[in-house]
Amino acid sequence: MSGEVLSLKDVSINRGDTPIVHDVSLTVAPGTVTVVLGANGAGKTTLMDGIAGLAPVTSGTIQLDGAPIEKFPVYKRSQAGLGYVEQARTVFRTLTVEQNLLVSRSGKGDAEKVYELFPELKKRRSLQAGHLSGGEQQMLVLGRALISDPKIILIDEMSLGLAPVVVRRLMHAVKDLVGLGIAVLLIEQFANLALEIGANAYVLRKGRVVFDGPCDEIRGDSERLHEFYFGAMPTDAVVEAGGENQ
Amino acid sequence: MLNSLVAGLTSGGVYALLGLCVVLTYRLVAVVNFAMAGVGTMGAFIMVSLMDLGLPWPIALVIGVVAGSLLSALIGSGLVRWFGEHDERTKAAVTVALFVAIGAIGLRLFGSTSTGARRFPTVFDSPAFTLGDVVVPQSVLVSLAFAALITFGVGLMLARTSVGLRLQALSERPSTAQVVGIPAPRLAIAVWAAIGGVSTLVILLVAPRLGGDFSTLSGLVTTALAVAMVGSFRSLPLTLLGGVLMGLLEGFAASLDEIQKYRGVVPFLVILVLLWWRSRNEVWDTAHSR
Repeated sequence: MSGEVLSLKDVSINRGDTPIVHDVSLTVAPGTVTVVLGANGAGKTTLMDGIAGLAPVTSGTIQLDGAPIEKFPVYKRSQAGLGYVEQARTVFRTLTVEQNLLVSRSGKGDAEKVYELFPELKKRRSLQAGHLSGGEQQMLVLGRALISDPKIILIDEMSLGLAPVVVRRLMHAVKDLVGLGIAVLLIEQFANLALEIGANAYVLRKGRVVFDGPCDEIRGDSERLHEFYFGAMPTDAVVEAGGENQ
Repeated sequence: MLNSLVAGLTSGGVYALLGLCVVLTYRLVAVVNFAMAGVGTMGAFIMVSLMDLGLPWPIALVIGVVAGSLLSALIGSGLVRWFGEHDERTKAAVTVALFVAIGAIGLRLFGSTSTGARRFPTVFDSPAFTLGDVVVPQSVLVSLAFAALITFGVGLMLARTSVGLRLQALSERPSTAQVVGIPAPRLAIAVWAAIGGVSTLVILLVAPRLGGDFSTLSGLVTTALAVAMVGSFRSLPLTLLGGVLMGLLEGFAASLDEIQKYRGVVPFLVILVLLWWRSRNEVWDTAHSR
């Protein structure tokens, strides 16, 4: 076993009865950001849901710190050290900020560590999470993952519907998480922003990996990204395939 | 009239308790549980059958409550395992089927309305105090106190304890609750077990007054649903109030000779009126107005 915190081997995942992800293999090293890119419908969220246990893995193996987890129910994967920041800011709206953290705390998880990372949340610790701004809610969801004492955090499109300044703030927080030795598997609509903080990247098309390599190789290369997203580019069409075109 | 209202108040406490069981099952595990009163009746009949066999009542009571809890937990684990990903309507339909099945098994084991009435222990029938010239039995106070205890106790438990917060998280976002490490299936089954035990106790409280046959007691689910509707399947204090009002309404209906024999339709009327009242501003093509 190398120093991988998460390792997928030939994993296929269904959504309902429909196969979405096919034979995906990937690895994530501790203390690094691994980026997953792809067009809408490529299977990125299904891949994350499959790793977290929310979608059924039909074949292949998922190992967390060397131990297979693909048969575990969702909550056991979390208890094993897998944090998941789902799309759409899934705070418990009727609970306060503090209570949101409390229900997620596990192992060495410490609310103070979360408040250090997001001082905004400390000021609002007694406020119901439903009354927070979108950015604060996303910080809370990230904080909730952090307080579960994870080995890895899966982050799915945390920038959705947020102002660019907030997105930069969140990206900075992701870098801080990595600084704590936590691995991050990141799906992000702003591809170039994600590639800036990522070490390795995987690009999915129609549920299969079509690129696997260092982020440096594709950072800023819109044409190549576009080709990975949609297939070969027509010669007469020059399309900017920056992050916002996913 | 005062006599009937006092009698209604006794039922009111019990109806509130039944409504609270429905609301808590819905709030915490997102199931409209039609089988709840059937499960409680099964536990109560197991207790009374054991007493008939000569077992002392405290031991029979414990066994009956445990039986109600286990049956409810069994239903809960089946729903979690096989219907966890289904919508609320499917889960409700499953509990309707189970209600019918429990009713059939109960009739087979314990007899029908005319042959199966049992003598339930009347522990709380002694007078507590007199109001004018009406004697108020202890059962009025016990059922109302039990209902108030559940309403405020559960409210406090949900807001102040770690388990309560986890239950709230589970009821608000079941899959996210699991994502943050809350053992949702285990918690849900524990809720089902607790509801089964409380339902058994509630049925035992009301059984001596309602004649003690299986179908009448398991049919109390209609009243429980009407009471839960008063609380919008959400508010515990409103459900408590709804139960008491329902009891008083039934007591009032019982005091008038002209409508006395129709008092069984009161819960249905309450359900109809609430459905009409709450849907009066709905637009025809909203998602839930089908």
